[in-house]
Amino acid sequence: MVRASAAAEGAGVPSVSLVCEGFLGQAASTAAGLGMPDLPTAAVPGHVDVQSPEELRRNVLTVTVDAVIRGLTESRPRASGSVAEPEARDIVLEGTFDEVNRFFYENEWSDGLPIVPPTRERVAEFLRFTDRAPDEALGVLLPDRRQATIWNVAVNGVMAGCRPEYMPVLVALVEAMADPHYGVEHSGNTPGAETLIVLDGPIVKELGFNYQQGALRDGFHANTTVGRFWRLYLRNVAGFLPHKTDKGTFGNTWRVVLAENDEVLHRIGWPSIAYDQGVTAPNAVTISRFTGGGVIVSVFGSTPEQMLPYLADALARQVGWELCFTVGLATGTQKPLLILSPILAETLARAGLTKQALQRELYRRARIPAWKFERLIGEWTNLVPGRPTLLDLVRAGKAPAVFAESEDPDRPVPVVCEPGDIMIAVSGDPLRTNAYCFAHNGMLGFPTTKPVALPRDWSRLLREARSR
Amino acid sequence: MNVVSGREIYQVVWPRGRKMVEVTDIAPRLDKLDGKTIGELWDYLFRGDEIFPVLEEELGRRLPGVRFVRYDVFGSTHGAEEHKVLAELPDKLRRQEVDAVISGMAC
Repeated sequence: MVRASAAAEGAGVPSVSLVCEGFLGQAASTAAGLGMPDLPTAAVPGHVDVQSPEELRRNVLTVTVDAVIRGLTESRPRASGSVAEPEARDIVLEGTFDEVNRFFYENEWSDGLPIVPPTRERVAEFLRFTDRAPDEALGVLLPDRRQATIWNVAVNGVMAGCRPEYMPVLVALVEAMADPHYGVEHSGNTPGAETLIVLDGPIVKELGFNYQQGALRDGFHANTTVGRFWRLYLRNVAGFLPHKTDKGTFGNTWRVVLAENDEVLHRIGWPSIAYDQGVTAPNAVTISRFTGGGVIVSVFGSTPEQMLPYLADALARQVGWELCFTVGLATGTQKPLLILSPILAETLARAGLTKQALQRELYRRARIPAWKFERLIGEWTNLVPGRPTLLDLVRAGKAPAVFAESEDPDRPVPVVCEPGDIMIAVSGDPLRTNAYCFAHNGMLGFPTTKPVALPRDWSRLLREARSR
Repeated sequence: MNVVSGREIYQVVWPRGRKMVEVTDIAPRLDKLDGKTIGELWDYLFRGDEIFPVLEEELGRRLPGVRFVRYDVFGSTHGAEEHKVLAELPDKLRRQEVDAVISGMAC
């Protein structure tokens, strides 16, 4: 909304932004990041979703209208200019471990856990693991509109406690973060969804990522520190700070990296997540933002007919309000993730199911009544305003025909637009019959995959790193 | 890392990145809104479909000759089409002869 106002101002048209009371701070920070700290706002008291029509009208008439007029007609003194900031290699503090940690925390550069002090020497160790120049720009990240560089990737990698040899993975992650396809600018939205990083390829074993039992648990150095790096980088370079630009109502802590079980995928002939995403490089990272997940315990049965109803039911139950990304708010962008333990994937594959066939079966079976779908997007949430029915949306060309196969409100409709929208990964305890399902945050963190580029002398560097 | 008086001292660098934004002036404000054309931009969330009509009614009452261009002319400013809608916005504002914009809803 503020981005739209900035676009209008850039075209020479004065604007005013309508902002609920609790979001005025975020609007100001976002405007500053867009280079227009003077963008005027007009407050709407409280939050509109819990106001009666009469109350909403009264608030708009008594508070908002005057602010709209002022915002479009009154010039304000220009906000003070930018504050001088350090250069990349400047020493910002000399101090003990405790002093460094206190300084970084007080400046909001830390997540509250102790960081590894980012000294130039330590950063240099990380830079050995990339062929790219330290000052090479990887992109510019909103909302702060700061430059992502190889150098500041290394700095935040040091802080997160990563080992230097993780650097190629960190660089690929920031390339994905900077890809407009992903939509990093939405990372401070109120659902507070958290990114899950999926890692594929031989690098999983080379760097010692856990891809077996406890795949989503902290306690494995590579998975844990790379996951922490992601959140530190969002904080320090993109500029997402709770109580400011990060408005997650609850939020989550960062997720550890999910590494796929490459061996099992090869054995059963299923492609990896990265390959499904169109990236054929040997090693790749995939990022997506997920709103939440749940474990599917003790899938029972030796055939797809026995196993699929439970998996499909879990998928249908996990996706709730997020259906507005299936149809309505951003049609076709809902990409839930189902993680199968190896024994489940192997049992399904042994019965002849390819991954694509499994996606088709889940698409056919993971359904909810049309009335419930409509209430989740348009009545209980108002995320698709005007309470259109699915039939309305299909007739308007805003939803695929499968959502209007009859007029029966009890007709089952899918939770995604196409079978391929259901992402499937293989990881976790090889010999336990559990699965896990994540609901997805649609275009506000769309699946984005990047190859992991290794330095020319990777094998030697890795050998040296292992011997340290 | 140095050791000073038996204490390990770290010289640490800045973890952030250079700001790549030039602070720019916003567009000049209007002397008055009477007789002007106001464009409505909406992200199709948080009751803009109820709020814009109230604004139209009240602004129309206070400001003689004011005209509104409804949000559906511009498309949703949030959603799968956001980048496209914002890229097309300057041209649409010009073609609709819009003098000022009200953009909602941030909630």
